[in-house]
Amino acid sequence: MPEPILSLEDVHLTLEGNAGPVEILKGVSLDVNAGETVGLVGPSGSGKSSLLMIMGGLERATSGRVTAMGQDLSPMNEDALARFRRDRMGIVFQSFHLIPTMTALENVATPLELAGAPNAFDRAREELSVVGLSDRTGHYPAQLSGGEQQRVALARAAAPRPKILLADEPTGNLDSVNGRAIMDLLFGLRDRHGATLVLVTHAPELAQRCDRVVTLHDGEVAIQAEPRAAE
Amino acid sequence: MSLMIAVRIARRELRGGLKGFRVFLACLALGVAAIAGVGSVRDAIQTGIASEGATILGGDAKLTFTYRYADPEERAWIEGASDRVSEVVDFRSMAVVGAGQSAERGLTQIKAVDGEYPIYGAPILAPDIPLADVFAGDGDLPGAAMDPVLIERLGLSIGEVFRLGTQDFVLMSALVREPDSATGGFALGPRTLVQTAALDNAGLLAPGTLFETEYRLALSESANLDALSEAAETALSGSGVRWQDRRNGAPGVTEFVDRLASFLVLVGLAGLAVGGVGVAAAVRAYLWEKTAVIAVLKTLGAESRTVFQTYLLQIGALALIGILVGVALGGVIPVLFEPVIAARLPLPVDIRIYPAALAEAALYGALATMVFTMWPLARTEDVRATTLFRDQALGIRRLPRSIWIVLTVGALVVLVAVAALLSGLIALTVWTALGLLGAFAALLLAAMGVRRLAGRLARSKAFRGPTGLRHALGSVGGPGGEATSVVLSLGLGLTVLATIGQIDANLRGAIARDLPEVAPSFFVVDIQTDQLQPLRDFLGSDDRVTDVQSAPMLRGIITRINGEEARSVAGDHWVLEGDRGITYSTAQPENAVVTDGAWWPEDYAGPPLVSFASEEGAELGLELGDLLTINVLGRDIVAEVANFREVDFSTAGIGFILSMNASALAGAPHSHIATIYGDASADAAILRGVSETFPNVTAIRVRDAIDRVSEILAGIAAAVTYGALATLVTGAVVLVGTAAAGERARTYEAAILKTLGASRGDILVNFALRSAILGAAAGFVAVVAGMAAGWGVMTFVMETDYIFEPVSALAIVLGGLLLTLLAGVVFAWRPLAARPATVLRAQE
Repeated sequence: MPEPILSLEDVHLTLEGNAGPVEILKGVSLDVNAGETVGLVGPSGSGKSSLLMIMGGLERATSGRVTAMGQDLSPMNEDALARFRRDRMGIVFQSFHLIPTMTALENVATPLELAGAPNAFDRAREELSVVGLSDRTGHYPAQLSGGEQQRVALARAAAPRPKILLADEPTGNLDSVNGRAIMDLLFGLRDRHGATLVLVTHAPELAQRCDRVVTLHDGEVAIQAEPRAAE
Repeated sequence: MSLMIAVRIARRELRGGLKGFRVFLACLALGVAAIAGVGSVRDAIQTGIASEGATILGGDAKLTFTYRYADPEERAWIEGASDRVSEVVDFRSMAVVGAGQSAERGLTQIKAVDGEYPIYGAPILAPDIPLADVFAGDGDLPGAAMDPVLIERLGLSIGEVFRLGTQDFVLMSALVREPDSATGGFALGPRTLVQTAALDNAGLLAPGTLFETEYRLALSESANLDALSEAAETALSGSGVRWQDRRNGAPGVTEFVDRLASFLVLVGLAGLAVGGVGVAAAVRAYLWEKTAVIAVLKTLGAESRTVFQTYLLQIGALALIGILVGVALGGVIPVLFEPVIAARLPLPVDIRIYPAALAEAALYGALATMVFTMWPLARTEDVRATTLFRDQALGIRRLPRSIWIVLTVGALVVLVAVAALLSGLIALTVWTALGLLGAFAALLLAAMGVRRLAGRLARSKAFRGPTGLRHALGSVGGPGGEATSVVLSLGLGLTVLATIGQIDANLRGAIARDLPEVAPSFFVVDIQTDQLQPLRDFLGSDDRVTDVQSAPMLRGIITRINGEEARSVAGDHWVLEGDRGITYSTAQPENAVVTDGAWWPEDYAGPPLVSFASEEGAELGLELGDLLTINVLGRDIVAEVANFREVDFSTAGIGFILSMNASALAGAPHSHIATIYGDASADAAILRGVSETFPNVTAIRVRDAIDRVSEILAGIAAAVTYGALATLVTGAVVLVGTAAAGERARTYEAAILKTLGASRGDILVNFALRSAILGAAAGFVAVVAGMAAGWGVMTFVMETDYIFEPVSALAIVLGGLLLTLLAGVVFAWRPLAARPATVLRAQE
């Protein structure tokens, strides 16, 4: 039995809200194997995005254990987590989160630069060409359409060749045509680099394409199954 | 490595332009420009005085004798030591035009010169005729030139006759500017320039008259001034002579300019502090906007250090631009306005770019930027990648890490230390810094108080009726309001103005208001001994004269204390600077309160004894039995301190630091001083009678002297007020920045209010009211802080009573209110004009 690339054991997450503490995750345990594609589904507020954030070290679990590539994320500080992501993870957001003052090329090159890659801009250019934006490298985010912005975000996430790709509703802000194109690209990137993909989505056709679908309900794992079984 | 990446990211970020940094740049540039400008003008004056030292002094070196001319031996030494000598006699007298009831009289400072005058430079005369023609006069009468102010006062015209003592002169020309006057507008009496020989029959320079004789020496370029000064000390030792040379032509003025400039730099620093509020707010707003970018960078693997460096570099680059703009403005503006500045200053100025002054301003700018940006910059550490998903407020620490607090406080301490060192006014700088910190704290507390109070009032039943006011109060008291920023930025500028207003009004008030109850109407000087009784008789015949007090008066310099050089014993005390009035008396005067020791017997004829003013004696460290060497008319008198007595200078009566036993001084030629007390309505008659009956004596109307001092104070207050206005302008920039920053929120608010049925008028009233509340609060706090500072200065520095001055205080509260109201209304325009549907859709 190979060791999972991502492992969560009895993860709890409680946040302080204005009206008092809110329990977001209530003892989630989940293993994700290397190369696997996992879809996280569930109603709004079920804790999907929070679970993804915990996997990416963007959020710290209140209790429980989170291991990524054999490393326990819990004792790492903010900077150690940042370095871990830089070297091993790529994250795609629903709202793209491109840096508005940087061109598409610079946005993609930034994680490579942060990682000290010697030919950051050449590689960024290649990544943009893979997502079909080689003629848009000098454009600023504001000059790109939503679909194009998400493609830049995909290229940025994939550029450092991460072992783990995390995507939080990557098609949520896009129309169906653009959404499909982005998904094709996302799965294509995964296939090309052999990365593990964890995907939060509301779209059933997207969940269909995953190896496994995990359904969350009220902060707990309700069902884990192959796509058809999860429906 | 991290730094290189930070540089690259910072460069990309900065391509977004300077939007959002206009207030940052304006605040920094204004503050730096004000300091650079003041420093440049200060250096221009100092360079001007230094390069024109010999002209201002009237020669390469100057020897001043008090009360007498140089004796033949001294004169011979002076002539031997120089290439050329010019003798100038300086004294006060009355210029009289006409006679009897219609006569006009004016106090004047006479400069009587010889044929060698002026050694350097030339006076500016109108009409512009040779000086020889001025002195030649018209027909039998000698000529004179006179300050235009005095010509105007006496109603004289060129070619008309006036009188000095008993000698008539023809006014040949107006004396527009003397080459050798660095005191220009500061003298009590405007200048009259005559030739000494023409005064022979004027009866003015009798023995005992208060006059100074200056010997101006022309020396070769290569003359060794140090050696010559020492030689003069040796040759003229014990003669009470004072030496000055071209290296420091106008020490008093240089010091005055230095002090005023230093003070203005401190006011400029206050401006920089106000600007700092804007700078900090701009950085905070910028970083707030960049929260998502910072979170993205962290998501992509950027460490906190890289992120901090990225934004530090950006702020640093912008600060550099702001400082450079400020330095350029501060350097160039004095050059552009050179004619105006040169015309307004009675001093030679050499206006050009002074790198040292600009560097000083840049240093202050850089340090102030550090103080005000470190804290907000440290917040980048607190932005976590999770911010992209969740509200920023979750998990943010209230204070940055202690290292940033230490660095901020450290930068502040360095800033204050640099200001103290460069200004030389250590105590004043520290007090100013503490005052500013206090004002900051008070304003922060006030802002907090205003918010709480407004919030409470908005919820109270009393305000349920007037919707506009309740909304305004609710908005001021609600979260995310502008209260702190507005009260802080505007309040600090107004506090500086309020402080100056209170101190200025109190100072002038203290002089003008408090003195008349106890002060005499006239001081009369140069009364010869044989004139004393006739003068008393003459004044006694007027019922309106209530009292006449007189005392013999000489002048002397304290040169030694117990045989040691006085200054080396007691330091640079004002009593030891130049000559002091000395009187003598046999019996203890009625009003003299002896605090230590005893008065000498009436028939005392032993070695000289002196009674010393107790407060000044204590400051000099004198004790009973100490021996003072006092040079009077070139003769050293060694007197023992027999007692200390209280001298109250605040009554403006006759007060002498030194009073000696009669036999020690009575033989020396001297005159008397008298004070005349009486009804103000008698002033004109007294002046006329005294000057007609005793043409050689000089009567100085106390009211005129007070007016003159008030004028000078007003001039200083005006200079400081201009400095403070720069502070207020900076405050206004911050205010506008705050109003502009809040525009988006107000647009959203206006859209919701419109949706709920509010008219544009309702909304405008709401916005205007909240501005007015904040403006009034800032003005009120400023007045309270100004009162506290005014009270402190008047009580502890001036040692007099403080009286609240309501006019400037009211003006400041109203000014604050109007400024914020204006900014509020101007920035309400767009929110009012926006269509609600568009705004609300954009918010989704």
